[in-house]
Amino acid sequence: MAVALRPRPMRPDLLMWTFARPHQEMYAPVLAAWNAEPDRPKAESLLLTTDALQRRLLSGFLSGTPLPDLVEVHGGIIAQIFRGPIDRIGFLDLTDRLRESGVIDMLNPPSLSPWTTRGRIYGLPHDVHPVLLGYRADLIEAAGIDLTQIETWDELIRVLRPLMADADGDGLPDRYLLNIWETNPELIDVLLLQAGGGLFDERERLIISSDLNAEALATIVSWTTGTNRIAINAPEFDAAGNRLRLEGVVLCSLLPDWLAGAWQLDLPQLAGKVKLMPLPAWRPGGRRTSVMGGTMLGLPREGRDIERAWTLAQELYLNREVARRLYREAGIVTAVRAFWDDPIFDEPNPFFSGQPAGRLYIDQAPHVPVRSSSPYHRLALAALGDAAMALKMQAEQHRLSAPSQLKPLARALLAQAEQRVRRQMNRNVFFQIEEPTP
Amino acid sequence: MSRARIYPLWAPWLFLAPFVVLFGVFMAYPLISSIGLSLQQTYGPGTSVSVGLKNYADLIRDPLFWIAVRNTALYTAGSLFVQLPIALGLALLLNRPRLRGRAWFRLIFFSPSLVGLVFVATLFGLILHEREGLLNAALARVWPAFPREFPWLQRFVMPALILASLWMYAGFNMIYFLAALQTVDQTLVEAARVDGAGPWHVFRHVTWPAIAPVSGFVALLSVIGSMQLFELPYILLGGPGPESRGLTIVMYLYQNGFETGDLGYAAAIGWVLALFLIGLALVQRALQREALS
Repeated sequence: MAVALRPRPMRPDLLMWTFARPHQEMYAPVLAAWNAEPDRPKAESLLLTTDALQRRLLSGFLSGTPLPDLVEVHGGIIAQIFRGPIDRIGFLDLTDRLRESGVIDMLNPPSLSPWTTRGRIYGLPHDVHPVLLGYRADLIEAAGIDLTQIETWDELIRVLRPLMADADGDGLPDRYLLNIWETNPELIDVLLLQAGGGLFDERERLIISSDLNAEALATIVSWTTGTNRIAINAPEFDAAGNRLRLEGVVLCSLLPDWLAGAWQLDLPQLAGKVKLMPLPAWRPGGRRTSVMGGTMLGLPREGRDIERAWTLAQELYLNREVARRLYREAGIVTAVRAFWDDPIFDEPNPFFSGQPAGRLYIDQAPHVPVRSSSPYHRLALAALGDAAMALKMQAEQHRLSAPSQLKPLARALLAQAEQRVRRQMNRNVFFQIEEPTP
Repeated sequence: MSRARIYPLWAPWLFLAPFVVLFGVFMAYPLISSIGLSLQQTYGPGTSVSVGLKNYADLIRDPLFWIAVRNTALYTAGSLFVQLPIALGLALLLNRPRLRGRAWFRLIFFSPSLVGLVFVATLFGLILHEREGLLNAALARVWPAFPREFPWLQRFVMPALILASLWMYAGFNMIYFLAALQTVDQTLVEAARVDGAGPWHVFRHVTWPAIAPVSGFVALLSVIGSMQLFELPYILLGGPGPESRGLTIVMYLYQNGFETGDLGYAAAIGWVLALFLIGLALVQRALQREALS
């Protein structure tokens, strides 16, 4: 009763929700400057946990409970919002504003794709999240191996394989070359995207069973089993996984910029031992990066002052100082291309053995693959994971380890996975995607 | 003075009102409206399309739902035929009056149920981890030829779940059996022994009939609890696990309702589960009545 009757704090004129404390801290100076202007509405940010933000946002969109004027969300939340009919999506369609204001030309084009559904854009991208290969330079270079000229996964595996010897005689290889496992569909998806495949195409159509995916999945699973094994399961943000990283049992990891930032905070013991390089390509001349994760800033359609919220959104996301802080404090590269020439990205990073980590990420940023925002992405990821695990079991049962042997099985399992997701998608009367005619 | 003058007719309703209102708002109304929800496809309250029994028809044709039913049934069978006999066995052991340290054993067996399923899932995740797990490390010591990175959680999903729940719930169910065993009429036990009955015959013809109603109740609770399994596989396997072998009915409901946002389909899954449990409770009651009569 006391809680219900206590006086409510005054709601600011413009309210922004965010789910990350570092983001809130980065925006504080911008909001202070905004509030210092006499003719502007008062703006504030509110930090919510990811779950609380998701629930309150969905309740607001679906049931009309109070919403902020601006809200930062990540990909996991946006999928549910994009499940409905296009005219009922709770975020304001920013497509025309982005085009008319010219903001769209300032942004990295592939970074808009996760926030786009049925051809309409619903958010300003916060980041690019290119993926590089982080490797234990101390161990690899001590063995006299130079990775700078490596171009493909095959080459990388060939030159690093000698490091898998069992020098300590415990019956296990002392090191594994890559952190990837059939139980981690998120990482597999990163490599499928790099290979030119993925779960959905740009128009949100299912492409799980594509030939590119079958080939890439067969190769990835071959890395986890039998005589071809080079991989180990070292989950991120996990005690056992971190131990494998710190002990040098895992030599290379797929490292998006945000994870590189997290490593600098969580694994300071690795400082000066790690280097970055572009991902080895699937074939010579192929793509040297991929993409993982993402955040956007959107404006709820029912906001009280859309025009001023849009102005504030631009001040927050198209702000050079925020971009610099984003990189300095979280290692994240902005999606605003005009800021990529900032000298901060060229500063040597002691954690990455003095490499200019920002510049390495920015070099690959324009090449990140386009992703889909499909509300069925999670379901498709689960289906991909099941296919990968089934393929691994079949590989072990029949003692198959060459990618060419596994590819027909991979194709069949991915076809089953695609059928399963398609069945669920077809049930949704609100979300109909035009399928290509056979 | 008449009774009505002391207690006005509306007095009982006044006292019942808090419960009735809360029950109506938070239980009865959502329960009834979920029937309607299961006949719709929705995108929030403002956007819905009536689809009749399509959600139920789709459910019958949905292979993932049947995988979830199979997994849940296997886990339930494990609870009934592994966990409960072990709980009964422990109770019989601890019911022996001459056993030294009975109170300590009771505490030891019961204490795992004091922690949550989340803790149990995390603990078993550490025990069964491929490279860093306790089990593989211990096996490597006693049996060097055993594969050092044996993937227990991928090969033995259901046994791992049953084992984890056994560790947690065997001691908890033991307490019910122990309470029931202490109500067994000892004069009947003595009489049976005097008549030459051995331990098995005493258990079969004296103890078991006496504890059968409690056993039926424990079994029903165990089935209901097993049917609602969610957190243990969700945390231990990080989701449905390899080839969905850890997917349970409630996890499938959660995935559809809260990850995909298909509330109508999730409501249909919930009602199928509810109807099954209601049916099971009715069967259990009928069997118990028959046994008592």
